[in-house]
Amino acid sequence: MNRRDFLKNSTLGAASLSLLGVPALAADTKGSRLTILHTNDMHSRIEPFPEGSGQFAGMGGMARRATLIQQIRAQEPNVLLLDSGDVFQGTPYFNFFEGELEFKLMSQMGYDAGTLGNHDFDNGLEGLAKQLPNANFPFLIANYDFSQTLLAGRFQPYKVFTKAGHRIGVFGLGIEMAGLVADKNFGKTVYLDPIATARTTVARLRDTERCDLVVCLSHLGYQYKNEKVDDHKLAAQVAGIDLILGGHTHTFLDAPVPIDGPNGHRTLINQVGWSGINLGRIDYEFERKSRRPSVASASVVPVRTA
Amino acid sequence: MHFLRSRVASLGLLLAVAVTPACQRAAYVAKPTLAPATAQPVGQTLPPDPKIAALIEPYQQKVTQQMAEVIGNAPVALKKNPGESPLANFIADIQRQRASAAMGSPIDVGVITNGGLRAEIPAGPIKLGGIFELMPFENELVVLDVPGPVMQQLFDYSARIKMAISGATYTVGPDGKATSILIGGKSFNLAATYTVAISDYLAGGGDNMVFFKTIKPRGTGVLLRNAIADHIRQLTKEGKPVEAKVEGRVR
Repeated sequence: MNRRDFLKNSTLGAASLSLLGVPALAADTKGSRLTILHTNDMHSRIEPFPEGSGQFAGMGGMARRATLIQQIRAQEPNVLLLDSGDVFQGTPYFNFFEGELEFKLMSQMGYDAGTLGNHDFDNGLEGLAKQLPNANFPFLIANYDFSQTLLAGRFQPYKVFTKAGHRIGVFGLGIEMAGLVADKNFGKTVYLDPIATARTTVARLRDTERCDLVVCLSHLGYQYKNEKVDDHKLAAQVAGIDLILGGHTHTFLDAPVPIDGPNGHRTLINQVGWSGINLGRIDYEFERKSRRPSVASASVVPVRTA
Repeated sequence: MHFLRSRVASLGLLLAVAVTPACQRAAYVAKPTLAPATAQPVGQTLPPDPKIAALIEPYQQKVTQQMAEVIGNAPVALKKNPGESPLANFIADIQRQRASAAMGSPIDVGVITNGGLRAEIPAGPIKLGGIFELMPFENELVVLDVPGPVMQQLFDYSARIKMAISGATYTVGPDGKATSILIGGKSFNLAATYTVAISDYLAGGGDNMVFFKTIKPRGTGVLLRNAIADHIRQLTKEGKPVEAKVEGRVR
């Protein structure tokens, strides 16, 4: 790549040009659309809730969810399909087949990534390891250190997806397992502080990885009254997350909840209940940054032309 | 034009490098544009995807076949409720009996919380599927060797919610503490060690039973759900119905 192409192609050069207000090159503000589809806490609900099971009777079902996803894929060119954990446990399908079918179906449906919920450890580290070959998508988890376990090296903290020419950083955060999961089922997995881990991961996604959108798959839970870390605290304390797709608390939200975090960065939190009753959908448009606050004082900086 | 563009670009580059920290941020903002329904219901109007349905089918057949098996009969529903309940007594008794059999020595008490019982046993034929609804978790039956002071903590915990314990009786005092504790018909001895049949979940401190966390459990290798299903099958084999009652374990 020659120098001019480099500058033309790099967001750095492009941003600088638009800042300087070169009219011929500043027109591209329309951007393109990304559709994020998501689930959480599907709890082995392969089939719809049976009749007689209360308010959710007839709801859910993975074959129907697949149809809905197909319908959306037919209309939208850029789709990311994500899950926030607790795929396992809740119906006999898990008891009999140990998660094999869940992972196979998610693979067939084209899931791009998931994170790990506490129930995904219900058959221990071995049980999870055994089913991983049935998933053709990664499980992202930044705050579990598996290095002293048989799952060492099987998970990445984040993945960067390129959709419509934009870099989308997706990372995962899991809940503290001690007290929630039998000790023998998570073994020597080390739980790392979600807030500190998120700060490091977001910095990496924003800076080194140059992501335009940062999504957190969280199994921390929506909101607790006590000190326990949750999605609200995460959004309020960590700058730079655009979207938290939550789980664990089986929370139904009519619309994503906006939280203003440090530096005025706004984070949306969404969660769609459980058992695949709903499919979450959030679309994003990418727009050139019109003005970056950090460059406001540019005029006082001595500039030499090349 | 080429000349101009590269000059301007270079200038912009220098400017950006000069005024921003070493870490360069992406130059796009992602703006959410929310669909009318951000939680789209997966309802009965959606036809099943044929490929997915075909993948499910063989698994479904196996599940249906096994879950439909009738393993026993309950003349009266075994219900759960706060405090002592027929269902909790039934399960806690099974835990104690099965753990005794697995360990080859008597077990003093059995403990289950209401939260661990996910469905009731309705009156009529009991299908294997019903036991999966009742106990969906892969919990193992374990035995704890519990020193007297920790047993006291268990009874204090129980007294707060009037939870019954299999193999023991107690009275909730006016101060909300457990008094008149009898274990196996004998007065509770703070200096003794007692055996407790419990799920690995509760043994690990689940449902806030934090006082058990330091005690190393002895595994039975028996899943709690299988213990329940096996017991019901055994009753049926002996021509007995499935029944349990509230009998004053908590007073």
